[in-house]
Amino acid sequence: MTMRDEDERELEGLFRAARALSPAPSGALMARVLADAEAARPRPAPDPTPVSGVAAPSWIAQLLGGWRGLGGLATAGAAGLWIGYAGLADTALMQGGLIDAEAAVTVDLMPSAEGVTLLAGAGG
Amino acid sequence: MTMALDSAETVSDDRLLALYGAGDPSAARVLATRLTPLALRVAQRMLGDAAEAEDVAQEAMLRLWRAAPGWQAGTAKVSTWLYRVVVNLATDRLRRRRSVPLDAAPEPADDRPGAEAGLIETDRVRALDAALGTLPERQREAVVLRHLEGLANPEIAEIMEIGVEAVESLIARGKRGLTQALAGRRGELGYDDA
Repeated sequence: MTMRDEDERELEGLFRAARALSPAPSGALMARVLADAEAARPRPAPDPTPVSGVAAPSWIAQLLGGWRGLGGLATAGAAGLWIGYAGLADTALMQGGLIDAEAAVTVDLMPSAEGVTLLAGAGG
Repeated sequence: MTMALDSAETVSDDRLLALYGAGDPSAARVLATRLTPLALRVAQRMLGDAAEAEDVAQEAMLRLWRAAPGWQAGTAKVSTWLYRVVVNLATDRLRRRRSVPLDAAPEPADDRPGAEAGLIETDRVRALDAALGTLPERQREAVVLRHLEGLANPEIAEIMEIGVEAVESLIARGKRGLTQALAGRRGELGYDDA
């Protein structure tokens, strides 16, 4: 079913009037919209500035216990490298560098109960 | 990064949204000035209630701000996206309205019986708003987008997520519905019955 031309014209007249009288946003609405925009506005990321030299990703340092952890790890690595070169072929050589294997002694880390008793008696 | 406002008028909505997504506050001002009236117009025609229309316009714009960082340039027109959001928000409110008692619903725009011939333009628009309020939601959406926003049927189809033929059918039925709703008010509207 099609509409009569007359009805079409009348409707078009109403549409035209409605378009001419479209509501405009109030100042209060615009203020609310702009406040939302400011609150939701993504903040630009700061420029990445490498500290100096070779920048290691900081999360790796954190993972390994911070810069002190990394220092310890490097020292242990260097020691391991040295042991690998110098020690594995001749363990006696490495021991000789550190302790006298022939003169190994037993160290009593836990003094005997008698000694403790003796000291206690001397102090009292 | 801040855009010079004197060049803003020539910048596309897409580009402005990308600038806002990168943190440019002046892009938000231009977009708000350009798009808030659009959102308010459609919400007002759909809902026939100024306060509710303002809430819908603000919510639609807020969704636009939140969508900015992930916006895929070139995938959809910003205005088409915003029309869809407004229409969906307004439709949700219309559906909620149906579930509340009639005396809690907003007053219709204007439904006075016309005694005098030749109402002023404002009253003719009120009569149209009241007639729009009698249409089923989808017909109302299609008529508002086509005849009050002046959009082409393919864009309306994209907004309503239906085919172009379905849009044409909704518009035709909507206009017949409007004619019926306005029948009997021809003298009031300034039209003489032939």
